[in-house]
Amino acid sequence: MSTARAEPLVHIAGFRMDFGDRTVIRDLSFDVQAGETFGFLGSNGSGKTTTLRALLGIYQPTAGVLHIDGRPFDPQDGSRLGYLPEERGLYTKEPVLDVMVYFGRLKGMTRQAALTWSRGYLEQVDLADKATTRLDKLSGGQQQKVQLGVTIMSSPDLLILDEPTQGFDPVNRRLLMDIIERQQDAGATVIMVTHQMEEVERLCDRVVLLKDGVAEAYGTVEEVQDRYGGTVVRVEHDKPLPSSPLYDVTVSRAGRTDLVPRPGVEAADVLRELVGAGVDVRGFTTTRTSLEEIFLRVYGAPHETDR
Amino acid sequence: MSRHNLRTVIGFEFFRTVKKRRFWAATLAVPVAVAVLTVLVVVSNQSTRTAEEAQRDASIAFVYTDRSGLVTPELAAEFGGMPAPDADRAVADARSGAVEAYFAYPADPVTEPVQVYGQDLGLFDNGRYDAVARRLLVTAAQQEIGSPQLAALAEGTFDIRAHTYEDGVESAGFGAAIPPLLFLVLFYASIVLLGNQMLNSTLEEKENRVTEMILTTLNPTTLIVGKIISLFLVGLVQTVTFALPVVVAYVFFRANLDLPELDVSQLVFEPGPLAVAALILAGGFVLFTGSLVGIGAVVPTVKEAGNVFAPLIIVMFIPLYVVSTIISDPGAPAVQVLTYFPYTAPVTALLRNAVGALSGVEATVVIVELFVLGFVALRLAVRLFRYGSLEYTRRLSIRTALQQRAGPGIRG
Repeated sequence: MSTARAEPLVHIAGFRMDFGDRTVIRDLSFDVQAGETFGFLGSNGSGKTTTLRALLGIYQPTAGVLHIDGRPFDPQDGSRLGYLPEERGLYTKEPVLDVMVYFGRLKGMTRQAALTWSRGYLEQVDLADKATTRLDKLSGGQQQKVQLGVTIMSSPDLLILDEPTQGFDPVNRRLLMDIIERQQDAGATVIMVTHQMEEVERLCDRVVLLKDGVAEAYGTVEEVQDRYGGTVVRVEHDKPLPSSPLYDVTVSRAGRTDLVPRPGVEAADVLRELVGAGVDVRGFTTTRTSLEEIFLRVYGAPHETDR
Repeated sequence: MSRHNLRTVIGFEFFRTVKKRRFWAATLAVPVAVAVLTVLVVVSNQSTRTAEEAQRDASIAFVYTDRSGLVTPELAAEFGGMPAPDADRAVADARSGAVEAYFAYPADPVTEPVQVYGQDLGLFDNGRYDAVARRLLVTAAQQEIGSPQLAALAEGTFDIRAHTYEDGVESAGFGAAIPPLLFLVLFYASIVLLGNQMLNSTLEEKENRVTEMILTTLNPTTLIVGKIISLFLVGLVQTVTFALPVVVAYVFFRANLDLPELDVSQLVFEPGPLAVAALILAGGFVLFTGSLVGIGAVVPTVKEAGNVFAPLIIVMFIPLYVVSTIISDPGAPAVQVLTYFPYTAPVTALLRNAVGALSGVEATVVIVELFVLGFVALRLAVRLFRYGSLEYTRRLSIRTALQQRAGPGIRG
């Protein structure tokens, strides 16, 4: 899906970020090409938001280069950026339309254009009747929709979405994904921070996994899957599978087991081993390791990811 | 783009403030209170005046004794009185109602009270006795002097025009001090009225977690300057709203309110002191504004901001407690400290400037100090806002904020 280009839209090289004597990012480098959707993954507290804030000039990096379109980000270029931060918030005491028009104006739109766009968007997300309602009178999900609207106003070239589906129910998550896909279709470059791995597999061209302040994995989704998980063999069978030096069991439930062949072992070798052991193999399919599985392998048990 | 954003911020901040009912409720509370008070005072004054006139013209039948020798029987008769042969008897007659009233004038009315005895006519109408007894004694004293002019002079009813000279040129006195003092009023009004709003205004971004959206959309300096200008405009609206009833009251109800006549011709507008006052006002405003924005960026809640805001306001009022020393002895060490300490400098310097006790060198030093520190405070405030407003729930470590090197958004 991805195509390598000489001039990345986002270029991060040798990025280091210290807060006092605490190092959050040690040495991070990656590029995001124009037009691609990029997944920025990592456990809680791994430094994803810090990286985005440094990229957007909110934090000054301790070391390294963080460029958007060949230079450090300047808020004067804000009209080209749509940023949905992890810490959401708008002027809650103001009416929805006033806030949207304000941000539209700050992004360089005329008042009329901002009004027209905002009304159209509110119609699209079923909030047309809330245009003159104060933001704090809306539900959390409705406020999220308004926030997303503010983010994508002025058709930005670069969308940076930090946990975009956080706080959305499944219906609104679907709506949000549709909106993001429309932005992709319009040619926007999307950087997405999320813990929803199925979203990453569905939307992202390339990903970077951040761990201990460095890029643990970086490449297309397929490349990362091949490197960290490779092939997964799913076997449907009648009796418990014997242990074997040829594979590791990852998931096993009700006559269905996922096996990961050890390095150098082919799926066909696994099948022969099972049949040779007298297992009645009723189904045998191969697939790639899911990103969620890889995420769990990279970051370990839940208590290790929450810091 | 920057100018466009500045206009956008000013418009948004100004209109969202003046569109709020709460703003008008708070702003109109003062003029409404003034209007209500004015009506009450006018009505009360009219009724008092009517009653006083009625009392002054009142004629009551009374008896009197006079040990001072000032009241003659002829004069007393004009007021409806006649001498009482015996004081104890007169008191008894007043008590029983046989006479309307009995006035006992002492030997020295200056040091001893005039005793008045009479039937109780009610709290207010009892004043009739006092009015007649007083008018009789005053008229007797004036007759004793024998000249209405001397009587007026004895009462101190005359004007003095002082002519003082500085370097051979006649100085203008209080007429020249009043216009620069108006800048002091403006300074207090602007900080007291707008200071709290400035704190809340910058805290809002923090409390609503809008900071990241804002910092990636416009320069924080643009935001802060936009807020300051919009608050200044809001302050103008409030000032006009506050001043309007005062002007109306003065123009249309001056006589009813017993307000002194303002003789504008006595005011002298000297360009030098006025220019110095304007510069001190501007520098002081920048310094206090920068400080308040910085406070808003450091603390997490409005409540905590109030704890810091209050001492700042108190410091601003300290010079008023030593105003006589400031005017009479500007060289005193305490006055010098107040003149150059940043948060007392505007008020002290404005006072000294108004009374001509601030030299050109001192004025220059204070103005430069205020503008330089004001500019530093604003830059610091922008930096604290930039980093502090991301510390959504806790107080910012100023050291951490200052350790951050300037990012692209800080420039300009």
